[in-house]
Parts: sequence; structure tokens; C-alpha cells
Amino acid sequence: MKLNRRTVMAAAASVAILAQPMMAAAQDLPRNVRMVIGSTSTGGDTYQAASIVADALSKQLGINIKVDAVGPSEGFKALGRDKRGTTIMLFHDHAYLGNLYGIAGNPDPFDGYLVGPTLTINPGNAYLVAKNSPYQTMDDILTAAANGERIRVAIQPGGVSEIGFTAMRNAARVRAPGSEENIVPVNTGSQADKNQAMFDGLADVINGSIQANEQFTALPENDQKAMRFVWLTATPETLQKSPEAGMGALSRDDMLQYASPQTSVTLDGTTDFTFDKEFFLIYNKDMKPEMMQAIDEGLAAVFAQDELNARLLEAFFIPDFQPMAEGSAHLMKKRDTYREVIDALK
Amino acid sequence: MPILEFLTPMYVFLILAGTLVGIIFGAIPGMTATMAVAVCLPLTYSLGLDNGLALLLGLYVGGISGGLVPAILLGIPGTPSSITTTFDGYPMAQRGEGEKALRIGIVSSLVGGLISLAALFFFAPALAEFAIKFSYVEKFLIIFFALTVMAALSEDMLLGIFSGFLGIFISLIGVYDVTDGGNGEYRLIPPGLEYWLDYGFSLLPVLIGLFGLATILEAAEVGMPKGQSLKDIKVGAHSRFSWGVFKGQVTNLVRSSGIGTFVGILPGVGGSAASILSYTAAKTSSKNPESFGKGNPAGIIASESGNNGLTGGAMVPLLSLGIPGDATTALLIGAFTLQGVQVGPLFIGNNPATWDSMIIAMLLANIAMFIMMYFAIRWLAMVVAVPKHILFPVILMMCVIGAYTINYGIMFDVWTLLIFGIFGWLATKLRLEVAPFIIGFILGPSAEIYFIKSLESFGTLTIFFTKSWIAMLLWALILGSVIGSIMLARRKAALELAQAQAQAEP
Repeated sequence: MKLNRRTVMAAAASVAILAQPMMAAAQDLPRNVRMVIGSTSTGGDTYQAASIVADALSKQLGINIKVDAVGPSEGFKALGRDKRGTTIMLFHDHAYLGNLYGIAGNPDPFDGYLVGPTLTINPGNAYLVAKNSPYQTMDDILTAAANGERIRVAIQPGGVSEIGFTAMRNAARVRAPGSEENIVPVNTGSQADKNQAMFDGLADVINGSIQANEQFTALPENDQKAMRFVWLTATPETLQKSPEAGMGALSRDDMLQYASPQTSVTLDGTTDFTFDKEFFLIYNKDMKPEMMQAIDEGLAAVFAQDELNARLLEAFFIPDFQPMAEGSAHLMKKRDTYREVIDALK
Repeated sequence: MPILEFLTPMYVFLILAGTLVGIIFGAIPGMTATMAVAVCLPLTYSLGLDNGLALLLGLYVGGISGGLVPAILLGIPGTPSSITTTFDGYPMAQRGEGEKALRIGIVSSLVGGLISLAALFFFAPALAEFAIKFSYVEKFLIIFFALTVMAALSEDMLLGIFSGFLGIFISLIGVYDVTDGGNGEYRLIPPGLEYWLDYGFSLLPVLIGLFGLATILEAAEVGMPKGQSLKDIKVGAHSRFSWGVFKGQVTNLVRSSGIGTFVGILPGVGGSAASILSYTAAKTSSKNPESFGKGNPAGIIASESGNNGLTGGAMVPLLSLGIPGDATTALLIGAFTLQGVQVGPLFIGNNPATWDSMIIAMLLANIAMFIMMYFAIRWLAMVVAVPKHILFPVILMMCVIGAYTINYGIMFDVWTLLIFGIFGWLATKLRLEVAPFIIGFILGPSAEIYFIKSLESFGTLTIFFTKSWIAMLLWALILGSVIGSIMLARRKAALELAQAQAQAEP
């Protein structure tokens, strides 16, 4: 075929017509959006949640969304620089917990940024002991602390990992004031480090997750690597929404045994402390409201369909969509609750 | 047959494509195997687990191997784990033996890859059991052992060790990160630079600045060199490559592959340590240690079999404990989680088909890497004959692009490249040594973390000597390495003195 002016014009026109629906759907949003996440790992739950949501949202809006695992500090920096809406951030509760714990490089997301819609919950945040540990339950642990025994808890400081540890100390304080001093942190890094701290006998309790540690709980007791769950921080309502089969050998009913109310870590003597690890979006404070509105509408549409919800559940996430206004108010209230607990133990 | 369920044309194609793209990523300074896997990770969504892993494993093996090409031909390590390949590979290329050096590197890569794959296939659970015996103390001692190579690599021992410590010092700039169990506090950052330096200088821009940009600046200073002409390069029939090069090197090959595999199974020790340790071991056990760094093929053999030995080793903790052995296997976990497959101590038993498909993918990737690179060598080796006024701008452009993209588009990384390029150029004038500096820079952060965590955990310095038999064995190796380096330095000084005297007495 000879390429003349007419054929070139016709080809350009066809491309324009084909591109029309996509352009229309995303008219308020840039064609290419970068979703930075508050984790540098592409093997963790943040990347997984971001990938699933970004995939569904990009199809719905007809735009490209690229997930970049840059970590909290670089993520907030990239977001702060870009008011055009080409950079958005997906993160979880660490976004404000890091700030509450005073970790450098963790700004207050409610101050310099706009905290947006909530997306999903990972119900897996857990605490474990060695299978042959003298402590079988959280009650054993808190009783031991009250009796003056030192309990070493391996955590990664300054975030989701530490909030459960803070709650344990708070519960010890409520039960027997002063006994919280017997629950001490072993500051480690990755999940591998926390596991290793247990294998080396350096920690009595470790923070972990259902996803990363379930297989270790299936090992025989004489195996040095064998572990046992003692506490899942998620609310029972959240766990009830998880697949009945659970994960691996741990069914949903088993999970409920390790969560409130069956396993109680008290907040104030009457109610239990619970913590759902929620994932949400954060925007540059000067991003156009129409763009945020378009994302809210896109999310509402994808969460109304079964496909995304099924995919999240399959990956052991609980769908938890709340539009920007509700999500932001909910997270601010949540932040205030945890601030009280953290401040009480300072 | 179950094997045919995954062994489809698509599966084989993805391994081949992955290996080829991996080699290209590895061969471009500033682009790494880790980056290749990160870029292609989202593709595994649509490919399914077996096919997705085939692609990623091809990228992994290709990416680790491709680093030797610029290391040998241009003296710029394509990946951090091929730094030690430059020490002997580049002098060989300068002598016109680039093709021979490449062939040695590629054969060593294949042997390293296959030995570690065999270790993975036959001994994965047992090796993982052994790996968990290494606590902070033993990991610190391994890093310390690798750091002793600074002394062996120095031209002038005192200045070399000083350069190494300077590298460690600069590597500690930035936050003591909470993700490493630190306190999240900033330290050593010059006032006003907190915004840029909160996580210190990135490794890749530092590396390509010191090795790439500094070389170009040095060349620019003396005027544009003509470069080697095709007549100077021994290719084809003139390259005189024969398997005889490997005569007497079987121990080196097996030992280096073993060291690579072993470093791989230890989470958190890092890929660069594999080739550094292999190189140290080869040099200290050699009868002619002074020939290392001047184009001794044994140095390339040690470095390349060591870094490819890492590939199988790093899969051991990933598949037996759910814990990645290095930065690239940390990305591979993403492929499993995206597909909803749990990796942990029960993985191999629960997923025998996936396990088989991964082993076969790695085997095919190693073979594909060997064939692709072995037959491309003749043309690759001619890169050095490209006129420098064309080659240098291309290298410079690749360095800048690599630095900019390594952390997903941070402009400060390009400034880092420039700063360390100028630093590398000035360093030689100040008689500082780049090789010990970069080794200190790479290993410094892990040395610090494991040292502090050991003390936090056990509360006493004596634990480094009393923790276990492994610790004592490591001390023996450290002492051996230090004594070897001192003896080498003395012999060299005596030789220089004798030469000076011989010249003085006509």
C-alpha cells in the first residue's frame, strides 16, 4: 500500500476515534499516573494490594497506573513535589503511626497531605511464640509479666509492628500497673530477622503475619522453626469476612480463636484493643478536587463489581472501600485512638 | 507426564527471552538483574505462576551473568557483584585478551550457576537448616572476613585500608533505618542536606561514578585516546582460548561456586559479598597472589563462578523458609504473592510441580545464557575497538540513565554519580584506592547493623569469639586472610627494595 496524505489522515483519525472512550473516561485525570507505595518491597502486602487495586482502577478509568515501591520517605517526598495528580500514594496505617512514634522521614499525613479513600484490609497482623514456649496464650504472657518475668518481643519499631507491642504493654499496665516494664522490645528489621530472633532464643514473642508465618505453625514441635499463633490483632468483624477456608491449615474458625474477644488484649479494662491494617490512598494537598472525585468514582465502580472483591479475597485481603470523605474521617478517628495509647506509655 | 504440563513452547520462549533481556540489563552499567526483575514483575500477573517464574528466573540468571561484559571490556562493573571481575578482566582486555577473558568469565558463570543449582535441588532443606544457625554474630564475622580483602587488594596497604574505612564511613551517612531495626535517627548528614541524604548515597550511582565516569574523566585529562584497533585485539583464531586455562583451576571453580552458593543461602549478607569472598579466597590461596589484579584468569574464574553461585544459593532460603537470600529473590517473592502462593517451610512439599518448573527454568536459563554469550563474544569483544569519541558519550549517557532510573527517577542519584565520578578522578591523584573504597562502601552498612545487633542481643564483645564453632572457624579465616595480606605486602616491599638496589648498582 502506498502511504499518501489521505491514508495517513485516515490512520490518525481511526486512532483518535479508538482512543475516544478512554480519553472520555479519564478526562479529569492524567493519562499516566504513578502510584508510589510506602514500602520498598515488591514481595510484601503493600505492593500486592497496590497491584490489585491499580490494575482494576486503570482498566476502569482507561489510564495507566504504574506502581513504584519507593518506601515511605521517598513516597511522601515524591507526592509532595507533584500537585498535578500524576503521583498518588498507597500506604497503610504506618503512614500516621510512623509519625506518632516520631520516626524521622514520616510526616503527618493529615497535615501536609490529603488522606483519601480506604481500599482494603490485611487481617493477617499476628504475634507468635515458639511452639515449645511456656507461653501458650496472650493471657500466659500478660500473667508472666505481672509475675515479674521479662517478655522479649521482636518487632520492627515505629509502625504496624510496634502498635501491637504497645497494646500488649498497655494491657499489662491496665492489669497490673508497672508490669508493662517487663514487656520489652527486641528491635529487628525484616520478617527474616524477627524469625531468626526466635530461632536464636533472643525473643519470646515475635510480630509476624498469617501469610508469612502460617507454614511455620504447621511444623512439628521438635522443629526449631516451629511456631504458634498467640494473637491476631484484626477485629472479629474483619476476620468474619475472610474466606472460610482461611489460609493453609489455619481455618477462619481457628483465626477467630486468636482474635478478640476469644483472645483478649484489653484497651482499658472493658474493651479489647484491636487493629486492622488498612490500606488507603494519600494525595498531594494541592491536587485538583475533580481528580480526587474521579478516583473516588472509579473506585466505587470497581468495588461495586465482584471481580475486584473476589481477587482481593483470593489474595487474603478484605475489601474495605470508603470514599475520600468517610475514609479520611475514619482514619483520623483511628489515629486519635492509637495516639492516646501511645502517649499513655511514653 | 507432569513435566510436560509446564514445559510448553511459551515456557521455553520466556526463559530464552528473559535470559536475553537479563544479559542486556546486566551488561548496561547502572542497570541490574534486580531492575530487570522489577520491571517485568507486573507481567507475571497475566502469565501465570510457572510461565511468570520462567521469565523472572531467566532475567535473574541473565542479569547476574551480563555484568561481566562491561566489567571486562570497559572496566565498569555492570552489576555490583561483578566488581571483582574488573580487577583481572579489564587488564586482560587492555592487553588485547578481551575475548579470552570473556570466555573464561562465561564458562565460570555457567559452572557456578550449575553447581549452585545442584546444591539447591539436592540439599535445599538441609542447607536452610544450616543457614538458621547463622545469627547476627556469625553474619558480622562473614562481612568482616569479606572486608579483610581490602588489605589484599591495596597497592599500598596503609592507604588502601584508609580508603576502605573512608568507604565505610561514607556508607553510614543517612538514617539508621527502622526497617533494619534501627532507631530511625539521622547521622553524619551535613547540615541542610537532610532532604537528599536521608537514606545516604545510593550504591549504583556511586559504583558507576567511581568506575565509569572517573575513567572517562581520566581519559579526558590525557586527551582522547585513539583506542585499540581491531589489529590489537585478539579475536577469533588469534584469541588462543583453550580449555587449558582451567587447568589447575578446578579447585578454584568449585570453591568459588561453593562460596557463592553459601553466601546466597544466608539472608542479608548480600550478593556482592559472594564474589568478593571468592576473590579473596582465590588470591590468598594462590601461589602467585601478586599476579592478581594484573590480569590473572584465576581472578575472573573466582569472581564469576562466585556471583553465579549465588543464584541457586539465594533460592534456598526463599523456597525453604519463605525468606529471600538477596535483593533479586526478594522481588521473586512478589511473583508468588501476586499469584496467591504461600512460600514458607512447606512450599516444596506442597508445590512439587512449581518446584520442578523452577529448577528446570534455572537449568535452561543457565544453558541459554552460556550459548547466547559464548557465541556473541567475538562481536562483543570488538566493543573496545569502537573509537573513544563515540564510545565514551554512549557510556556516559548509559551511566546517567542508569543512575536516574535505579530508584525510580531520583535526580539526586545523577548528582551522586557526578560527585563520585569527580571523587574517583581526584582519588587517584591523592593515592587513595578505589577498590577498597567501594568494598568498604558496599559492606559497611551490613557490618554496622550486624555488629550493633550482636551487641544489643548478647551484651558483650566476647560473644564474637565464644558464640559458636562457626564463629571460631570464621576467626581462623579472618586471621589467615590478614596474615596472608601482611606477608604479601612484605614480600612486595622486599622485591621493590631489591629492584631499587639492583638499579642503583650498575
